[in-house]
Order: sequence, then structure tokens, then C-alpha cells
Amino acid sequence: MTSNLNRAAWYAFASLAVAFMLSPLVILVLFCFSESALLSFPITGLTFYWFETLFARAQFWGALENSLIVTGTVGIVSTVVGTMAAMGLARMRLRVSSLVMAVLTVPIMVPPLMLGIVFLSYFATWWEIRLGLHSVILAHLVFTQPFVILIVNARMAGFDFAALDSAQDLGASKLHAFFTITLPIIRPSILGAALIAMALSLDDFLVTFFTIGGGNTLPIFMWGMLRKGVDPSINIVAVTLMVLSVGVSLIGLRVTRYRG
Amino acid sequence: MSDGAVLVDLRGVSKTFGTVTAVHPLQLRIAQGEFLAILGPSGCGKTTLLRLIGGFLLPTAGTVHIGGKDMTRLGPEHRPTNMVFQGYGLFPHMTVAQNIAYGLRVAKVSRVEIDHRVGRAMDLVHLEGLADRPVTNLSGGQQQRVALARALIMRPDALLLDEPLAALDLKLRKAMQEELRRIHASTGGTFVFVTHDQEEAMGLATRICVMEGGHIVQDGRPEEIYNTPTTQFVSTFIGEANIMPGQRSNGRVILNTGIAFADSGAEEAVVSIIRPEKMSIATHRDDQTLAGCDAYLSGRLLDAIFRGPHVHYSVAINDKIVVTIDSRDMDMRRRLSIGDDVVVAWRFDDQRILTDR
Repeated sequence: MTSNLNRAAWYAFASLAVAFMLSPLVILVLFCFSESALLSFPITGLTFYWFETLFARAQFWGALENSLIVTGTVGIVSTVVGTMAAMGLARMRLRVSSLVMAVLTVPIMVPPLMLGIVFLSYFATWWEIRLGLHSVILAHLVFTQPFVILIVNARMAGFDFAALDSAQDLGASKLHAFFTITLPIIRPSILGAALIAMALSLDDFLVTFFTIGGGNTLPIFMWGMLRKGVDPSINIVAVTLMVLSVGVSLIGLRVTRYRG
Repeated sequence: MSDGAVLVDLRGVSKTFGTVTAVHPLQLRIAQGEFLAILGPSGCGKTTLLRLIGGFLLPTAGTVHIGGKDMTRLGPEHRPTNMVFQGYGLFPHMTVAQNIAYGLRVAKVSRVEIDHRVGRAMDLVHLEGLADRPVTNLSGGQQQRVALARALIMRPDALLLDEPLAALDLKLRKAMQEELRRIHASTGGTFVFVTHDQEEAMGLATRICVMEGGHIVQDGRPEEIYNTPTTQFVSTFIGEANIMPGQRSNGRVILNTGIAFADSGAEEAVVSIIRPEKMSIATHRDDQTLAGCDAYLSGRLLDAIFRGPHVHYSVAINDKIVVTIDSRDMDMRRRLSIGDDVVVAWRFDDQRILTDR
């Protein structure tokens, strides 16, 4: 009896915890369709009106486009550069590589707010370059790359370098060996790393805020909307962002866990 | 060295890693068709030497000629050698056939010829019917064969094998030894393999280079190495040996055990080396078994281990040194018990006198 009761209590507790974590997301989705201009409960009626008003705003499409440009570029560049770094690290002696790794992963230990301020002064006063998507991309590369390096490097730890030696021994150039042996073997890790880098870039607000200058990405656009007064279309932007980043993260996690 | 033309010629080759010298400057010529074993304990530089031949390492000094051409600075992809790696280095994302075909695909050989040659290579190493298996689903012995076929299909001038049998269990190892001999005979190629297992080297090679501390300390046919070791290290690394120190002066050697005999040479500390199977054992000096022996030592029997074809005895001489004897005389075994006073003896012709180093 007690054990049944015990178990029921635990189930109830677990359900509450899950509900607490997920209910804001559910409500967020519900509010997208709420008739009322105020974000209040209970919802009085359902409508697609807010979708229409949002999609009619050019700024939304501009922000979406910018977000996709930044995320896509960061995903590709971060992955290529990070993978190259991981390859180099894998060939180093452990002592040296762990030291280099510690240095390379410093950006993820710095609070994003600080990173943002640091980048702003770095770009604006040291380099004196105009802020824009390019400076956002550069800044995002700095804090997404450590993740790529960590993920790919972890995969390289168990890599059989004799396979690479064999490929070369059988006539393949270093580059050919990389594309026919290394890449296919570690592809799931690289893909996963790319997706995680993209997810991080996509929903970043702080670093983007300080480095973008005048433009908008989705998170910046949302922040702008909030300042002018909340209307339910902000929920639609949030849901768009959520779907994109949760989707990318899910694929990323799923792919990295997959072992060929 | 056999009569074939020189295929691999290492001239003054050495290799240093940081402050550690793995291979001291050495000369090594490998003839066409040889089956050469590079034998030595771990850390003696044998794998480094093999990797220098294969082009995976750039020598610190000296040159590597293969087929008469200076290939010192060429990488493995440009050398007419192929290697079977210790861990095999198979491509885990490919099937057996794809692994074996890799080199030919890189060389852009036609599809038809690749299929034909892969089939032949698989037959040669007895992998029939496994073409489409992922290599990760194979047993250790099968993986070894894939690695072998993958290298052999390139028709290398020299096939290099790094501890090829080390990862296999005893029975499989014996079987693969025979396979390797058969493949060597049927392909007529030059095989160079690295091993720390003296039995494997003896069983496979037509020539053995014994390495110690980055030097080739002896180079010769297996029976030469066994019968006439040139250093104490070689005598104990290849087979067992009794080593008795002594001193040479005035054309005579006096061993510390008191045995004396004529031997010309420099006045120096020497050792007498006698193989256990060249030693005889009996209960007393006049025993028939010891007839024809030149040197006799009294001792106490410490142990007698039955090893099938022979009995392995340990005898303490003066409670100082222990001599081992391998005897096929099973009658004698019945007459001896542990703790008995015994006599061990040998013929001077069966001992080798070496400078003590």
C-alpha cells in the first residue's frame, strides 16, 4: 500500500515538474491564436489575425532573413574551422592538446553579456569597423566554435589513426584520405556539432545585440516589439524561433548520438 | 642475404624523436624475395625501422633506396611498399570488398579489373563469401586477412607487416604463420615483418635481424642466429642459454665455476654460452649419459619440469649460479629427484665464447 502511494506521489511530483517546465511553451503557442489583444487567460476566441499582422510587417521578414544568414554562415564556418582545429588537436600530445583546448574553450566560460560588451568595444574602437551582420557572424563564431571543437575532438579520441595511415599507404593523398576515410567515419559528430552551433547562434540575443548595430535578427526584433508594447504576434515570432532552435537541437542531439 | 637483387637499401639511416634515439645509424639491405624478420624486444626501434621503410617517418639521417631509387623523402603513397598495421587500420565504414578495393580505386583502376583482383585477393587469403560484410562484423583472424588482402592487392615490391600475428590467439597464430609462408611462396614477393616473438621469427623468416636499443645486433639466417649468437643478448633473446662468466688470459679461459680450456683471443672478461639442450645431466660423473663430455659441474637438482618432448631441469651449482638443462632422457628423469646431488656436463664444441659486455 505504502509503496503504491509512494509511487503515485512520485508520479504526481514528476508530472508537476514537467508541467511547470512545458506549460509556458504550450501557453505561448495558444496565445498565437488568441483573439484578445491582451495576453490574458482564459482565451476568449481563436483567430489567425495576429499571423496576418505579423506577416504583413517587412521587419519580420528582414529579421528572419538575417537570422537565417547568420545561423547558416556560423553553422558552416564554425564547423569547418572547428573541425580543422579538432583534427590538429587530435594529432598533438595529450599534455599540449589539453592546454590548447583549455585556451580555445575560454569563450564559453565568459558570460555572454561580457562577451557582447567586449566585442562591441573590440569591433568599434580597435578595428573601427562598422557593425552589421558580418560583426555578428564573427562574434558568433567565437562562442560557437568551442562546442564544435569539443564535440569533434571527443570523437577523434577514439579514432583509429592506423586507418588514415593505411589509406595513405594505399596511395591516397592526405586530402583524399580525409574525405574518403576520416570524414565518413566522423560525419555524424560533425553534423551534430554544426547543428548545435546553429542552435546557439540562432537564439543568441546578448552578443547579437551588442554587435549588430542597426539591423535585426529574430531575437532582436522580438526585443524591439516588447519595447513598443506587447501584442500577441510576438508569440508567433517566439514560436518561430522556438521551432527552429528546438528542431535544430533535436536533430543535432539525435545525429551525434547515432553511431554508424 | 640471399642471392636476389637488392630491393630495399637503408644507408646510414637513423631516427631520433626529441632526445630519444629510436634507431641508431644502420645499414640494411633487403634482397628481392626475402622473408625478413626484424626481431627485438619492445622499444628496440623495430617498428620505427619498418615505418622508415614504409615512408611514414622521415629519417633523421641517411637515405632509403627502394628498387634502386632514392625514396627518402617520398611519403607512403609514393612508395612501392604496402603495410599491414598492427591494429590492422581497417576502414570501419566499408565492407570487406570495399576495404580491399580501396587502393585500386584510388589508383583509378577500371571497375572490371578491380572486381577481378578483389575476388582473387579474397581467394588468396580465404575470405570467400564475405565480400559484402562490414569489417566491424569480422573476427580478429578475418580482419587480419582483410588487412593482408588490402595490402597484397597492390602487388607491392615489399610487403611490410607490423606485428602481424600479435593480436591473434595461439591456434590462429600458428595457422596464420602457415598462411603467410604459403602466400609468400605463391606471390614470390618480399616480406618484411616486425615481431617480438622469436618463435614467430624463426618459423617464418628466411633471415632475421635482431635489434636491441636501436641497433641491429645480429643479422643472419635463423639457424645461424640460434647456433652462433654474437652477443649475450641475442643468445638469451632467441632461445634459452646458460651464461657462465670467466676470464681469458694467456690463451686460456677459466670460467668462474673452475672449468678451464684453451681459447685464443684478447685478454678480457668472457662468457661461455651453452644451450640447455646441449647440456647433459646424470647422477654421477661416470654415467653413460655423460660420455664424450668435456666439462663437468656438480650441483643440486632444484626443479624438473616435464615439457612433453623433453624435461627441463634447473640445477644450482655451488648455490651461486643456476644451470638449465633440456633432456630427452626420460629414464634419467625417473632416477632423479628434487634435491639430489647431480652432475651436469657439456662438450666444449657446443659452447660459444663471447666477450662479456
